[in-house]
Amino acid sequence: MDHPKPASPLVSHATCEHLRHKGMYVMSVVDPAEFQFYDKYDATAYWCTKTQKPLGPDGKAAHASACHDGRECCSH
Amino acid sequence: MADTPQVPEVNAPSRPQPHEKYPWPAEPTLVGKRIQRVDGPIKVTGQAKYSYDINRPGGLHGRILRSPHPHARIVAIDLSAASKAPGVKAVMAVLQPGAKVMFQGEEVAALAAATEEQADDALRLIKVQYEVLPHIATEALALREGAPQVFKDGNIKAGDTEEAGDLEAGFKAAAHTVLAGYATQVQTHVSLETHGCVCEWDGDKLTSWVSTQAVHGTREQFAKALDIPQANVRVITEYMGGGFGSKFGPDAQGIICAKLAKQAGAAVKLLLDRKDEHLASGNRPSSASKIKAGVSADGMLTAFDAETWGTGGAGAGSGFPLPYIYVFPNRRRKHRDIFTNAGPQRAMRAPGHPQGCFHTEMLMDELADKLRMDPLAFRIKNLPPEAPNAMWRKYFPIAAERFGWSKRHVTGDPTPGPIKRGMGCAANRWGGGGQGTKAHCEINPDGSVVMRCGTQDLGVGTKTIVAIITAETLGIPMELVRAEIGDSNYPFSGGSGGSTTAPGVSPAIRVTSGMALDALKAKVAPGLGVDAATLVASNGRIHVKGDPSKGLAWRDACKQLGMEPLAVDGQWERGLSASGTSGVQFAEVEVDIETGVSKVTRVTCVQDCGLIVDQLTAESQCIGGIIGGVNYALFEDRILDRVTGHMVNPNMEWYRIAGPSDIPTIDITLMNQPERGVIGIGEPPTISTAAAVANAVANAIGARIRSIPITPEKVITALAEREKTGGTL
Amino acid sequence: MKAFAYVNAANQQEALAALSTATRGRRLPLAGGTDLLGLMKDYVAEPDVLVNVKNLPAGIAVPAQGLAVIGAAATLTDVADHAALAKTYPALTDAARGVGTPQIRNVGTVGGNLMQRPRCWYFRNEEFHCLKKGGARCFAVEGENQYHAIFGDGPCHIVHPSSLAPPLIAYNARIKVAGPQGEREIEAGTFFLMPDRNMFGETVLEPTELVTEVVIPTPRNVSAATYEVKFKQSHDWSIVTASVALRMSGGGGGVVESARVVLGAVAPVPWRSLPAEQMLKGKRVDEAVAWQAAEAALADARPMSGNGYKVQVAKTALRRAIMKATGAKVV
Repeated sequence: MDHPKPASPLVSHATCEHLRHKGMYVMSVVDPAEFQFYDKYDATAYWCTKTQKPLGPDGKAAHASACHDGRECCSH
Repeated sequence: MADTPQVPEVNAPSRPQPHEKYPWPAEPTLVGKRIQRVDGPIKVTGQAKYSYDINRPGGLHGRILRSPHPHARIVAIDLSAASKAPGVKAVMAVLQPGAKVMFQGEEVAALAAATEEQADDALRLIKVQYEVLPHIATEALALREGAPQVFKDGNIKAGDTEEAGDLEAGFKAAAHTVLAGYATQVQTHVSLETHGCVCEWDGDKLTSWVSTQAVHGTREQFAKALDIPQANVRVITEYMGGGFGSKFGPDAQGIICAKLAKQAGAAVKLLLDRKDEHLASGNRPSSASKIKAGVSADGMLTAFDAETWGTGGAGAGSGFPLPYIYVFPNRRRKHRDIFTNAGPQRAMRAPGHPQGCFHTEMLMDELADKLRMDPLAFRIKNLPPEAPNAMWRKYFPIAAERFGWSKRHVTGDPTPGPIKRGMGCAANRWGGGGQGTKAHCEINPDGSVVMRCGTQDLGVGTKTIVAIITAETLGIPMELVRAEIGDSNYPFSGGSGGSTTAPGVSPAIRVTSGMALDALKAKVAPGLGVDAATLVASNGRIHVKGDPSKGLAWRDACKQLGMEPLAVDGQWERGLSASGTSGVQFAEVEVDIETGVSKVTRVTCVQDCGLIVDQLTAESQCIGGIIGGVNYALFEDRILDRVTGHMVNPNMEWYRIAGPSDIPTIDITLMNQPERGVIGIGEPPTISTAAAVANAVANAIGARIRSIPITPEKVITALAEREKTGGTL
Repeated sequence: MKAFAYVNAANQQEALAALSTATRGRRLPLAGGTDLLGLMKDYVAEPDVLVNVKNLPAGIAVPAQGLAVIGAAATLTDVADHAALAKTYPALTDAARGVGTPQIRNVGTVGGNLMQRPRCWYFRNEEFHCLKKGGARCFAVEGENQYHAIFGDGPCHIVHPSSLAPPLIAYNARIKVAGPQGEREIEAGTFFLMPDRNMFGETVLEPTELVTEVVIPTPRNVSAATYEVKFKQSHDWSIVTASVALRMSGGGGGVVESARVVLGAVAPVPWRSLPAEQMLKGKRVDEAVAWQAAEAALADARPMSGNGYKVQVAKTALRRAIMKATGAKVV
């Protein structure tokens, strides 16, 4: 079975407060031309502050597409 | 070549409006020069204190018991024997019965003891009962029909499909097509300094000396995970031995360390050993592709259709940019993340880019071979238009000239003897724009200056560039400046990732020291009887612009502060940094076709990073990146036993890293772009090395090895295969 | 690592006395420690007592006539840098120079190099309870065997890691051993044991015995060489190494009277190749003969699932060692 496909790769406001990725700590300025040189891709490593791992306390993947309302371990 | 087609020119300059008040100096005295690191001497004499060197009074040593199984359920944990072992002061279960471990090396329990040896020995007294579960060791096993579904949501996570243009039309326009698959291995970060920290509580306040790329981010995570106010946490990283993207928080071991310290009522030092490090502290995901690509008879790329996958172990995010840089007007790309029971991936020096570069640049050489066209000319035709952030059309010829590309033979070294030489090349790009840094500057009445900033130096020279910019701005020698960084009590700065440190920090230092100088000018101007706006600082003096005699020596100016140091706070502002770098690399290899051993002999690198702050540290970044790329091309490989899922080489013996004799001659040309301001250079120089090396190997031996690392086994197997089929490239 | 007692033996006698009650793995001699310390840190070796043997003979004597003698406590640097040794036994000093790193060569000893345990990653990692650790299977058979044996048919598929053993066997050296029963001398070629003869060690040495000296006959009319293939040029183990000693017939003309050919890192012991020796005997050595010898040496190789390439590497190493011994320039 495949994982549910993310509706949007963007982290929405409903995202769990425990979800983390490196980009949240890095103050980058994006080159506006970046996607002239290749298409979008997802190399993001997510983790949960509760487990400090890419899996949530429920054993499912910690990911922007999954860590939001409706998941039992999710909190805001 | 004037009438041959080329991707059309559309320039989009990515160059900021210069900063109004504190633009970079047109004729700098320090910025851009070759300046040794301010902390070089204390590092090489062992005086610099890294996290591991922090010894607190009564401090204990923490160790973590890790799962020996790649997938298991914990049935019971018995800590009693360990808690009674000699020297043990704190013991804790990290996971509880019922919990599952998803990779070898996952944290199960931990303890702290008076010595490291006692901690190690006591660890073996913790009795854990596991219910061993079926595991997935490799991508191939995960994809196999009937594979056990070990992850709750399945072993495969389908990603997006990226599409552009008209694929069918693209292939119709193609005169040649290439159908090929490429692959890259899992690479671990192998920071010389392992992950970990020393934690000490004072009541409800925690101080932690952490090997981290983000002192402020680590503070935030300690607070979140331990449920204490951020105000109660202080994180210190004065010196560190590399992170390469893997050190952005306390991690499991940091939280465990803090809990053990609390339990024991004593400071605890918990740094990972090399095996822990390979297993659980992150890695660059693998990548694999099946690509069909088309090119027109006149050498223009027409179509690209790829299916790709990769594994980040127990974590997602194996995506990578593809195709990379070259313009395929019609394209489609589908990616899947494959979960395996192995240590999860983390950001690693230019996440995704070395992979995307490798797949694309290998393909480019194969297409050029089909066309019987020089791979360099072929690349230049298909590059995006030149722009400040896209300079490949200019850099490729410069590098080719320096490298001696004209001496390249067509694929397959025709000279007799077992040693075959070959050449290859590849391009890279990166963002490298930063912001958000704050800084605090104090000018003391004795003329000494403190510049304080809550950034951190991963070992790349951040402290040095802070001192350079401060001294440059104040017109004083660097010896008068004390750069203080690596403490979450200092003004905020972002994590050091994405090559954002120099472009985030440099403007903040420029602005803050500029403001401090303005304040000092205002102080001394009345005494000089001039308007403060007419004053400049240079050569250790504050004086009227154009008239050095009308002014004061720096120390005399500072004396006028009396008993009150001058202190200002400033921050990053626009106009002093930009984003978007480009670079190219060429590699020459020697392959012994009778032993399969490849050696990289030369690498030529042409790279930009906006305004160069310190020529030496910028070159160091290139050297380090290239050595890392050579390792990626030839040596590094996280090897999991296909049966048990255990890593067989969690060390620096069989997980190979280049030694002095394995490092090529490296020729670096940094293209200064002072008008763009500062751009980071941490990541781009490591992106294209492996691709250039792999293309050089194919050029040398006339057989293409489509996966890295290029081991003797692969070389000999590829040559034997070619012998069998009788074909050449 | 497990806590242990340390006996700082002042000399050979004291060391032997301290080892007189040794049983396998419980009391171990410690020289340079470059191997043993790692084994202990990884909990693969858990001795109760370590006995310092750095005070064993460490001299190197190369008389013009007679036997060369190398003390077991001589370091690899001592061997590599010894001018007289290099002149008479280049295959040995070349091999010593190829070991590890300068730091390892500075403390690693001749005795330790012969007695070191295999680098097999299944043996070295605590998780794998392999045959050598009393387990039921060799994990290399179905697992990752790219650096494992291509000779020997198991049941354990380690390769012997000693760099000095192949040239010593080629030079027909003898290994002097002392124990509670006194001294004995063992031909280097019979010093090492296959796993079916000794699963928990790699040599004939008893736990109460020590290697004290290596004795090498004067090579008369012998041309010898070692050729090592490593992946990394700095600090790596051999993929394959080959040592040859060719005794040339007295009348000149470059005819081989007899040959000794030993391959390293291809089998659980340094692998002497009688077919190659036979092939070289009576021949005038040239590239073609070297090829034939290499083919003969590897004819019986039985590679595993992932190390077939080592057959080719071994052929190359041997061919180049032979040519190097004849004075030809090899890559």
